[in-house]
Amino acid sequence: MTVAEISHAIQSVGFLTYIRESGYTYPMILSTHLASIAVFGGMILMTDLRILGWAMTDVPVAQVVRSLKRWKVIGFCIMVLMGLLLATAEMDKYYANPYFLIKMALLWIFFPLHAVIFHGPVYGNAEALDAAPKMPGIAKAAAISSLCIWIAIACCGRWIAYYEPKDKNGKPIATMTVHAPVVVAQR
Amino acid sequence: MLIYDLNANPLNSNEWAFPLTECFHITSFALSIGTIMLVDLRLLGWALKKSTPAQLARDTGLWTLAGLFIVIISGLLIFSSDPLRYTYNAGFQWKMTALVVAIVYNYTVHRKVALSGASPGIQKLVGALSVFLWVCVPFGGIWISFV
Repeated sequence: MTVAEISHAIQSVGFLTYIRESGYTYPMILSTHLASIAVFGGMILMTDLRILGWAMTDVPVAQVVRSLKRWKVIGFCIMVLMGLLLATAEMDKYYANPYFLIKMALLWIFFPLHAVIFHGPVYGNAEALDAAPKMPGIAKAAAISSLCIWIAIACCGRWIAYYEPKDKNGKPIATMTVHAPVVVAQR
Repeated sequence: MLIYDLNANPLNSNEWAFPLTECFHITSFALSIGTIMLVDLRLLGWALKKSTPAQLARDTGLWTLAGLFIVIISGLLIFSSDPLRYTYNAGFQWKMTALVVAIVYNYTVHRKVALSGASPGIQKLVGALSVFLWVCVPFGGIWISFV
């Protein structure tokens, strides 16, 4: 079976078809996905800004990291669950969408790599960061790369809706309903 | 004033401008709402318990403001790309109502309770309401495309 056939088979599953064709369910799932960017993304942002020494400098790094960890995990799980529903419901459109594929690569390759590389010296070692006179370079590298990865993930996510598949001659292929704001001049 | 040649707006004529503006909008709402969420989590007693809400509110205050500043500017830019459509869109109206209520609430009741302290019960209530109001805003934003 080709990827296209597998994708079509996935999105043809009953409840995923329901989600895709629904009036309220799809937007509710998408809204939850987006609203958890606000919660979860904000925590990642602040952890990284704290490590860089740009925000919340009177709160020890160890406290920020430890205290927010559970909420980051919860937020991540919600986002992934919603994302899974969103993607599988529209698998026909997403499997070839380069922005979706880049986002998945960032999320499932770069982010785990980042976690593996930096957990030992930085996130799992936060007390040492507080004790150090200056924030070590590796911690700053962790924070900056984390910021880059997550901002890229969010931007790729937004750009998914703007991809227009083109056929061999460069002509846009018409797809079905696009869940994206259509900027049309209303007269 | 809302009616002008929309093609003159770079957000409509340039392929990258609109999505890029939206990306600024998204990251800045992650910053602003995220920092407010930190204070709310503390008010609810669910995280960062070693700090006081006042401390967190003071620490995050400028970042929240910066985030709100960029979110509003990028929002105005997006609005300018199709003013009539957005003005009469129910999702947008809901979003703007929620945004105004949330901002006013944030800088009055929420700020007072966070900075001056109150009973844990009041703190939880204020924090929960803040979470609800701010979550309404991105929900409204998505519904713009679905109504």
